[in-house]
Amino acid sequence: MAVRERVERLVAELPREAQFPTHGATLFIDLERCEVRRAYTPLGVIRAFLAGRGANMFYLYRLLDETLGPLHPDVPLIFGSGVLTGIVPSAARGNATSWSPESGVIMDCNAGDYFPSFMKMNGIDHLVLYGRAATWTMLRVKEGRVDFLDAGRYAGLDNIDLRDRVAADFGGMWTRDLAMANITRAGENQVLTSAIMAGPKACYARGGPGAKMGSLHLKAIVIQGQTHDFDTAQPYKAYNRAIAQQLLDTSVVKHALRTMGTPFLYKPSRLLGAMGTRNNQQTTWTDRLDADHITPYRPGMAGCFRCPVNCRPLNRLNDNPMDKYGAGDGPEYVTLGKFGPNLGIDRVEAVIRLNNICNDLGLDTASTGSAVAWAMELYQRGIITRHDTAGVDLAWGDADQIERLLFMMSGREGFGNVLADSTRAVERGHYPPEALRYRMAVKGLMQSDPHDARILKAFALGLAVATRGMDHLRNRVTLEINARINDDAAFKERLYGGPVSAAPTSYVDKERAVRVCENLYAVGDSVGMCRFTTKLFNSPSLPGLEQFSTQIAKVTGLAFDEGNLDRVGLNIMGLERMINARLGVGREHDTLPDRWFEEPITVGAYKGEHIDRAEFGAMLSRFYRISSLTDDGVPIDTWRRELEAIIAGAGGA
Amino acid sequence: MITVRLPSALRSGPSDTLTVSERVSSIAELVDILELRIPGLRVQLDDSVFNFAVNDELLLHHVAEHSLNDGDIVEIVPTISGG
Ligand code: SF4
Repeated sequence: MAVRERVERLVAELPREAQFPTHGATLFIDLERCEVRRAYTPLGVIRAFLAGRGANMFYLYRLLDETLGPLHPDVPLIFGSGVLTGIVPSAARGNATSWSPESGVIMDCNAGDYFPSFMKMNGIDHLVLYGRAATWTMLRVKEGRVDFLDAGRYAGLDNIDLRDRVAADFGGMWTRDLAMANITRAGENQVLTSAIMAGPKACYARGGPGAKMGSLHLKAIVIQGQTHDFDTAQPYKAYNRAIAQQLLDTSVVKHALRTMGTPFLYKPSRLLGAMGTRNNQQTTWTDRLDADHITPYRPGMAGCFRCPVNCRPLNRLNDNPMDKYGAGDGPEYVTLGKFGPNLGIDRVEAVIRLNNICNDLGLDTASTGSAVAWAMELYQRGIITRHDTAGVDLAWGDADQIERLLFMMSGREGFGNVLADSTRAVERGHYPPEALRYRMAVKGLMQSDPHDARILKAFALGLAVATRGMDHLRNRVTLEINARINDDAAFKERLYGGPVSAAPTSYVDKERAVRVCENLYAVGDSVGMCRFTTKLFNSPSLPGLEQFSTQIAKVTGLAFDEGNLDRVGLNIMGLERMINARLGVGREHDTLPDRWFEEPITVGAYKGEHIDRAEFGAMLSRFYRISSLTDDGVPIDTWRRELEAIIAGAGGA
Repeated sequence: MITVRLPSALRSGPSDTLTVSERVSSIAELVDILELRIPGLRVQLDDSVFNFAVNDELLLHHVAEHSLNDGDIVEIVPTISGG
């Protein structure tokens, strides 16, 4: 059945009217025919999966034809904003979902800045895009209406120039009345590490969303409109103030996020001996990249829509107006790690410049840095040679060469074409099969962050079972790095609903902590809350299920207690696993790179640590059991039928 | 002698380094001494944002009883856990 028939059938089942105050519409946009259909997510689906990431998965499940390929125009690209996006402080986030061209499993990535909130301001919860436009197209959304504009004159532009041109052409101001999600040349060229940019740095990053949007010939979605308050079921602003105060009172926000942002994490990872270095061949690197050394280049901090935290460090390397990359937004910890130790670079200035270039070229720094590091290790080992790299010398730490490679990737030129295929380089015949042994990826997705998880076993399990591939943002038990929490068994037990071993290297009960985090973070993504400010990610004191349920009730009038919300988180994971099963994912894919099983860490207090295959297998089985998953990692029959009934019947009322 | 490095959030004076010449054999004893010099520090340290590193190795558990030796460098490291 073609996507139009699937959409037709689905839309016929969906409500025509909003089901609660603040309920935004779902717009089904046929880019080939320039048609828009409007409906609303049914209440039954909202009760089971909320909005944002959760309902995105409902739409993907209903519309996906797995006999096609990820870049086929009949496979939809779906944007979703959370139930509380744009309404609650720090709930500035939304997700973009599809079938990943990079990994081959679900693609689901999250971004902040202003675009997700502006969707909500325009009365839109989801955009379901399909069909390939005949020529490069831009969608303009204004007062909830969609116009199809010719984007021919914007084709070939990267992020900085595109944002300047669009602001000039549309006459608006970013952060006030204009927001955009767009691709760059990398997306146009279907580079598998290309992002959909949602701001100067913020992006839907993981799994190749830029390539997916490029495959639809969609250059950008521009949203115009004034910010405004929402008509809600009950007054909500007093509780918003309480949430904002809770954020600002949290120690990690005061002492780290608001002052320096995420680069703070570099030092603890380095001191732990867990900083992925040279494609994880080593695990520690220079102190010259500690956050303190970025301070001289940080003129201030920026933030997302109505977020009081402002955690995004800006940078200024020089005052030369002719240097396009002399100033920018970032780097975050992920970029610092992936473009510092992972590539053997030890100068903070070089990392900042590469960060600014990636933001302009629209490249996911996690996958891009990993793809380059993988190639460098293959070159170091002689698995590929100058002959394969078209003469490029892939030496560790050569920042100038890496800069050139980024531009080559974006244009798919020379060896850049190989790097642009990211994890698929073996499948596409660029590297020999033995290269897979050194690929730091799970389920076809490069590791999101630079932390080497051979020490912390809860981190390792999380990376193995994350539904979108090797990514820490789905379920990481980040507080395992906090000694204060590890040493308070009773407190830790309360946090995770049962005992979890205090020893970071132990496998005992770590599955429990991963389960709790995975549920909570899935709910966070579906209400639109930022991960950095969600309980259990950076602190035990940040807003969690209690605050979400209170504010969902005030805003929407829908009653969810904490138990219901926890179940919603589980449902979302279950549905994602059902989609992945259709894409051929099973237990054997919930694993880790060979290196972590076979090569022990060689430095620091945890020298000798690696992942034991038998212990890991037992922990995975326990994880499946407490997650109501079969031995193959999919929902058990009774639960699967329950989810299928909700999805197939569009949930009813 | 133990050298202690404090993050800016915990400094009471201009210097980020203190030296402790009293005999201390564990982190718990070190915190007792530091509390005398910087009243209120113990309460501030009772916060998951602060971790201890000894000789450039981060401690993740059993911190209070971690043994110290003469010449050790102890650093209090503010730790954001996820990024
Ligand atoms: S905490 Fe930072 S990344 Fe998250 S919404 Fe706020 S400013 Fe954006």
